[in-house]
Amino acid sequence: MDAIAEIEVEGAALARRQYRVRRSPLTWVRGGGLSTLLFVLPRLLAFGAFSWYPIVRTVVMSLQHTNLVESPTWVGFDNFRAVLNDPLLPIAVKNTAYFAFLALIFGYPVPLAAAVLMSEARRGRSLYSVLAYLPVVIPPVVAVLLWKTFYDAGSVGVFNTVLGWGHLGPYPWLQSQSWAMPSLVLESTWANAGATVIIYLAALTAVNPELYEAAAVDGATLWQKVWHVTLPQLRGVLLVTMILQIIGTAQVFLEPFLFTSGGPANATLTVLLLIYDYAFGNSLGGDYGMATALSLMLAVFLALFSLAYLRATRSWSTE
Amino acid sequence: MSAEERPAALVTPTDWRRPGVRLGLGGAQVLLLAALVVVGLGPILWLAKSAITPTADTIGHPMALFPHGSAWSNLREAWVEVDVGRYFWNTVVLAVGSWLVQIVVATTGGYALSVLRPSYAKVINALLLMTLFVPAVVLLVPLYIEIVHPPIVHHSLIDSYWAVWLPAGASAFNVIIVKRFFDNLPREIFEAARIDGAGPFTLFTKIVLPMSKPILGVVSVFALLASWKDFLWPLLVLTDPNKQPLSVRLPTIQSQTELGVFLAAMFIACLVPIAGFLIFQRSFLRGSGMGGAIKG
Amino acid sequence: MAQFEKANPSIKVKPVEYQWTAPSFAAKLAAGTLPTVFEVPFTDARTLGDNGQLADLTGGARALPYFSKYNKAVLAEGTDSKGRIIALPKGAYAQALHYNRKLFAEAGLDPNKPPKTWAQVIRDALQISQKTGKAGYVQMAKDDNTAGWILTTLVYTLGGRMEKGSGKDAVATLNNAQTVTALNMLKRMRWTDNSMGSNFDYGWSDINQAFAAGNVGMYVSGSDVYTNLVQASKVDPSIYGLAALPIAKSKNAGVLGGGTEVAVKPTVGDAEKSAALKWIDFFYERPLVTKARARQNASTLAANKQPVGVPALPLFNKKQYDLANTWIKPFINVPLGQMKPFLTDIFGQTLIPEPAASTQSVYHALDPVVEAVLTDRNANIQSLLDQANKTAQAAISSGK
Repeated sequence: MDAIAEIEVEGAALARRQYRVRRSPLTWVRGGGLSTLLFVLPRLLAFGAFSWYPIVRTVVMSLQHTNLVESPTWVGFDNFRAVLNDPLLPIAVKNTAYFAFLALIFGYPVPLAAAVLMSEARRGRSLYSVLAYLPVVIPPVVAVLLWKTFYDAGSVGVFNTVLGWGHLGPYPWLQSQSWAMPSLVLESTWANAGATVIIYLAALTAVNPELYEAAAVDGATLWQKVWHVTLPQLRGVLLVTMILQIIGTAQVFLEPFLFTSGGPANATLTVLLLIYDYAFGNSLGGDYGMATALSLMLAVFLALFSLAYLRATRSWSTE
Repeated sequence: MSAEERPAALVTPTDWRRPGVRLGLGGAQVLLLAALVVVGLGPILWLAKSAITPTADTIGHPMALFPHGSAWSNLREAWVEVDVGRYFWNTVVLAVGSWLVQIVVATTGGYALSVLRPSYAKVINALLLMTLFVPAVVLLVPLYIEIVHPPIVHHSLIDSYWAVWLPAGASAFNVIIVKRFFDNLPREIFEAARIDGAGPFTLFTKIVLPMSKPILGVVSVFALLASWKDFLWPLLVLTDPNKQPLSVRLPTIQSQTELGVFLAAMFIACLVPIAGFLIFQRSFLRGSGMGGAIKG
Repeated sequence: MAQFEKANPSIKVKPVEYQWTAPSFAAKLAAGTLPTVFEVPFTDARTLGDNGQLADLTGGARALPYFSKYNKAVLAEGTDSKGRIIALPKGAYAQALHYNRKLFAEAGLDPNKPPKTWAQVIRDALQISQKTGKAGYVQMAKDDNTAGWILTTLVYTLGGRMEKGSGKDAVATLNNAQTVTALNMLKRMRWTDNSMGSNFDYGWSDINQAFAAGNVGMYVSGSDVYTNLVQASKVDPSIYGLAALPIAKSKNAGVLGGGTEVAVKPTVGDAEKSAALKWIDFFYERPLVTKARARQNASTLAANKQPVGVPALPLFNKKQYDLANTWIKPFINVPLGQMKPFLTDIFGQTLIPEPAASTQSVYHALDPVVEAVLTDRNANIQSLLDQANKTAQAAISSGK
């Protein structure tokens, strides 16, 4: 029995192969291949030119010395060595980690609590959503410049005036090495938390009501319902939001650039800012090799971190 | 049912009748609402007020309400002398161009890979999705060099709007949401159209596009908003001050402009996004929620 | 411009709007899209020339009728290490002390007697801050090299230097004794006297803006910033006072000088190059040496309510400078009387050029030191300087 089947199968395969060989370019065109290609072309061109090619070039450039006027020369791992020897690198890494850490503390639990409260609002829920999301639609440059005026360190700065009503301050905000980074994180949280709130809200309202009913039947209090039903159901979203926030804050650029230019005394120098300085900081031509080397190092780090994170949380998110 | 219409499930009507819940939870909600107003709306209201307050008052008494009258002239001066109008126009041009590029790339690509399904679709999809995991910083320097020394054109694209429009098309986010949407379109309609003799172009323009309005709405909203907020890339490639959008120009003119006029300029820069948001709330909020669903 | 084209019918001049920023300059340089004629600061010109990024103007420059009248030191700023002239000076300035006459009067100080020693500066700053509540003395402390620039200025007035030697073999001397003294002066004003206000991230234009708004008693910047004060911040001329920097009694002490010069793209053909030189001659240099052009320039500026007669350093010799000033006297609209302290003292001071090797990197290394001293009461000045010295040395040795 098997032998016959084998032969039959082989025959079919042979027939299929012969059939494929007989296809010609003309068949392909008539089959709609050309028009399909035309449709795919814009996307292929866009991604090819502005996504895939630059990714490859980053890797290449990190191993070269480029100066835009002459052709690039290969320098092996010199760029990586130079970056690792830069005394500013450990400062930038520490600051970036500090920013990410603070952002997680300020900006992770608060949107969740807010979303839970909002999801149970009996009326006016859209008002909550609009108010929460409003800071997100403000262009980041405007938000930063606005908060820069708020953070004026004199006693008539906006925040210092308000705090002065409570007999507090005046505080140095951006003018102090220890206050600068938290000030940046505060503004960043204001500008971005709204988006997280909306995501949580969508996830919360997607929770199956029967689960709550079942818990209520079991005599669960509100707190117990939240702990045993809401949070586990939201686990997936919570975990993903956390890693995305970490990846996003690791690449923070706008706030340190516009608020403090990395100061005072490099207290707010982040990795992205360092990359920018390598590439664009010198008016006589930047060091693109070092910039791409550091970009690559950051990307690899984030990839490894994400993998480790996924592995560690896999046991939590599957039941 | 969307988020706004879904009834609350965690707290049942019975729960609400208990005074402990009423006070505790209800109180917390009121506090939250108050906090949202102060924190979310407050800064923007302050900006609006200060935009029409004389500079001296804003500096000396920032929290006072028009102690010496208002200064609508700030707005006029911002528009005319600081030339906010021109940068506003630049921002609009950049936004519309980027939006167009994104729509073209998203619809044609999504249509081809999802509906026409050539044999190489899987490979391309995989490549597209992989770019989602690459942080944007990796692209910055080589993309910049590519704009300074473009391969085929051999003429620097610096100070050309194409330098901003074209790279906008390579958005992995668009790829995902459009693909998902197209995958969910009912195949029967396509089959019916094909039997009726529709070729791929007709199918695209007469059937698929009209059905795509919702997803195009979401893509458009995000494309326009992203363009309005864009800073680093236009900063690098648009060096001619006359071509720069608001986000790039505002920081530079800060030290040449008195505070009141500067705040007025910032307020003008906010108007379009805020207005757009209030009008198209549903698309924004639905799109954000969708983003969450994908990530979950 | 119309006149130039009329006199030279074969040359067409196209104005190009351009604002200098570090990344845009580098990109345009690389892409070759700089305008044919463009301006560079003194600090960058020689490096660019050595790198072959500026056209050689030696032939055309020597042919100019007034070539021999140039101030040798100023011309040297536009000559690269091979002796080629690659840029012609447009304007030169010396660092100076700008002070608010109104705040001086309010504090009980005589506006016509600005401080002549650093000790007096510190005392006056304290008095201004106590009597008027405004910052008595303010200094640039932004991370964009301006912090290092002003600190270097202070150090020069005390007799110190940031480098010894030249080119890649130069030795960085950032951590010399005078730098420590200068930083201690700042520390005293900031933490003991609290006379520096509450903002410590001023850059070149913000500090001008703060001064014009009447919030600053004294600050150090180039002697030519009055133009920016008027154009960008609409300063009230009556508050403006200009004095020369206090110079210590050491033979090495002097005042830092800088300036802008005009260069030509390297990739132009000979015809375009000589046309460019004609334009430079017509637009930038003639108004300084011919009476008719000087008066014409001055009257145009005055008609457009732009400052005329802002004190600058002579590009040629002092005689020429004084002569040019008499030509434009009727058009001068800046309060020269209020700038008398500067004009009286500056010509007796020694002019010192900025550190020649890797100037911007040296300044950049000093930025965080200044910021640290102003934001951290317990900043360890010596160790910060030693660290900065290492960074600067690395940059100098690698030719950045």
